[in-house]
Amino acid sequence: MDGTATISSEHLTRRFGEFTAVDDVNLRVAPGQFFGFLGPNGAGKSTTIKMLTGLLATTSGRIEILGLDLEKNPVEVKRQIGVVPEGMSLFGRLTGAEFLNFAGRMYGLDRETAASRAAELLDFMQLADQPKKLVTDYSHGMQKKLALAAAVIHGPKVLFLDEPFEGVDAIAAGTLKSMLQRMIARGATIFLTSHVLEIVERLCSHVAIIHQGKLVAQGSLEELRAGVDAQTGGHAPENGRMTLEEIFLHVVGGTQRNEQELSWLG
Amino acid sequence: MTSNVKVLDQLKIIAELRWRMFLNSLRTIRGKTELTARIFVALIMGMGALGGAVGLGAAAWYFVSSGEARYLAVLLWPVFFFWQLFPVLATAFTNNPDASDLLRFPLTYRSYFLVRLGYGAFDPATALGSTWLAGILVGIGVARVTLLPWGVVVLGVFAAFNLLFMQMVFAWVERWLAQRRTREIMGVLFVVLLLSFQLVGPLMQHAGRQAKPGLQHFVAIAAPIQEVFPPGLASAAIARVARGGLVGGFGLLLALAATAMLMGYLLHFRLYAQYCGENLSEATAAKKATIAEQRSTSWRLPGFSAAMAAVFEKELRYLIRSGPMLLTLIMPVFMTVIFRFGPAGSGRGSFVARIPAMAFPAAAAYSLVVLTNLIYNNFGGDASGIQFFYASPVRFRQIVMAKNLSHVSILLAEIAMSWIAVDALYGAPGWDVTMATLAALLFAAPVNLTVGNVLSLYVPKKLDFSTFGRQRASQTTVMASLGVQMVILGIGGLTFWLAERSHEMWTGVVVFVGLAAITIPIYFFTLKRVDAIAMRRRETLLAELCRA
Repeated sequence: MDGTATISSEHLTRRFGEFTAVDDVNLRVAPGQFFGFLGPNGAGKSTTIKMLTGLLATTSGRIEILGLDLEKNPVEVKRQIGVVPEGMSLFGRLTGAEFLNFAGRMYGLDRETAASRAAELLDFMQLADQPKKLVTDYSHGMQKKLALAAAVIHGPKVLFLDEPFEGVDAIAAGTLKSMLQRMIARGATIFLTSHVLEIVERLCSHVAIIHQGKLVAQGSLEELRAGVDAQTGGHAPENGRMTLEEIFLHVVGGTQRNEQELSWLG
Repeated sequence: MTSNVKVLDQLKIIAELRWRMFLNSLRTIRGKTELTARIFVALIMGMGALGGAVGLGAAAWYFVSSGEARYLAVLLWPVFFFWQLFPVLATAFTNNPDASDLLRFPLTYRSYFLVRLGYGAFDPATALGSTWLAGILVGIGVARVTLLPWGVVVLGVFAAFNLLFMQMVFAWVERWLAQRRTREIMGVLFVVLLLSFQLVGPLMQHAGRQAKPGLQHFVAIAAPIQEVFPPGLASAAIARVARGGLVGGFGLLLALAATAMLMGYLLHFRLYAQYCGENLSEATAAKKATIAEQRSTSWRLPGFSAAMAAVFEKELRYLIRSGPMLLTLIMPVFMTVIFRFGPAGSGRGSFVARIPAMAFPAAAAYSLVVLTNLIYNNFGGDASGIQFFYASPVRFRQIVMAKNLSHVSILLAEIAMSWIAVDALYGAPGWDVTMATLAALLFAAPVNLTVGNVLSLYVPKKLDFSTFGRQRASQTTVMASLGVQMVILGIGGLTFWLAERSHEMWTGVVVFVGLAAITIPIYFFTLKRVDAIAMRRRETLLAELCRA
């Protein structure tokens, strides 16, 4: 394993019966990186992130977070990471403030610190409007913001985010992005999955692409561009610079269907 | 461009959709089990429908042939009550998003209205009610064949009234259930209503001991009043024509039809609002709070870690906000009252009546049994929050222990309330009985907590704490719980019985403390294994509790 990596996996594999969802994945995420983990639907992104955060057992392989073996030191690893999983993991019948207090205390903060950070986070996330409202009555976007607030309340060194921008409006997305960039500036490492490639391109310095359970590309955006350039014989697009979407489509072999196929759409 | 779709075609498409959904549901074992259960229930209902139809038909024949057709009201009122109350009790306040989901399609209002009515037409209550009305009709026809056509018309309108009324009530109830707060208020009112029904018998019996109920007087007042309501109108319309009063009978039929139309209009009023896309948002007026205003510290739990205090607080907050759970927890005190005033409390054969000293142990045992709702499905109410537990740096044994701590606190509060209730109703329990009861709990609670913790991890079931009814623990949990309660109540009951007979209640205390010395270490031994079980079972737990 790479001792200098914040997140690393070695031969990470997960099978569900006959189906291999994640197949021999070797990831390396250096400290302070904003790392985007991409893949088409059903490629194995969420399965990988669940294994990296201890929500799902591996079939084989090893995971190290901050130099600690996840299987041997799960509690110590979890103390230093924050997670926003697929289902957001909220407790619907608490208010936003109660939930953040609860999250802070679960991560070992004392009552005073948990309370003051919870209030600050609610204010920052613009969730302070309805203090009596239960989480179950929040909109999807509000729940996303609250889940992120709970994931960062203890000041984690590593943050795992599964589709943090899904169903979030432009204003809320702006708030989330500014918070994440602030964390990166302070030395945290962020691992995120997203289908919104423009956001990943703007935020992430490094990217990995998973397709049909296998890691098919990994590196900085420049490295990925260079790799695709080399494969295509240097045929750059018209504007001269390949976008992440183009790289992604090239790597996963996505093809655009002929317009003729749906001619009735007008 | 789409062409205009005919109403009939839309109804056919929706029927096909329902059929396809039904077929798809049979792909799973759960779906097949459900179908088997439904067939079984349908058979029982079919027998009930036929038996009821024969009985009601015979009664109708008797009333009409003896020239007392006005007594048909005695048959029509139960049919009416069943038709209206059964669907409410059977569905027990859960949402049916099916119909409103269709509104995204270019459905005409007529189709939507008919679909809603159609759902009602296939309801078991409608099937049974219609069969019973058919039975009454046959009885009328056999008694007087010339009355049959008029009976068809009157009972047909009466059936239409029932169908429209049922759908109207459902449409309005659905509107109230669309919002969490009104849903919870409705749920609490519903359970209070059910509890009130429980009290009617004991209270009437209690009152009956003091004065004879004036049934004849009541009937004399109620008979003319009921004639202005649909069952009375239908009965009177038939009775009037049977006596040759065709005009009067027709007038009564018009009045019945008018009530049916009124129900139809109220249903239309509600459905049209749905059709036009009414907004049932639960958003309240925004009120920006300052950071200082939002700052609220969590609870302190001396002697326990921050994480345990957090889980303990979360559990109690959940409970306080759950109407169904709170009502479940007041049941022991409520049942103490029922036993005191009901037939069991007064009859000579009653155990508690003969030995009032046993009222407190009985109430305590009942409190523990009621609490198994929570104990045996520890994570049921957490839903996707279970992911938070797995992602947090807290050992599962701590989480489970904090949950157990909250359950024990609730149990102690219930025991205290039961003691006060017993004191008020039967007189204060003796010091020895109180101690024996507490010692029995010291033995029984760890058994339940141990089994409950293991079952919570092995057979979890997602629960919505805000919803009443249609929420059951898994069958495995139910069976295991039943077995454990039988053993505990058997041992406890036998010990109390022997101690009471020998007038040596303190011996009972010693026996229970001795048993607790075995069960408490078993509890802690199992608790140590909870982390390993939770890790092994995480996929099952996450899959069951995080599903939509």
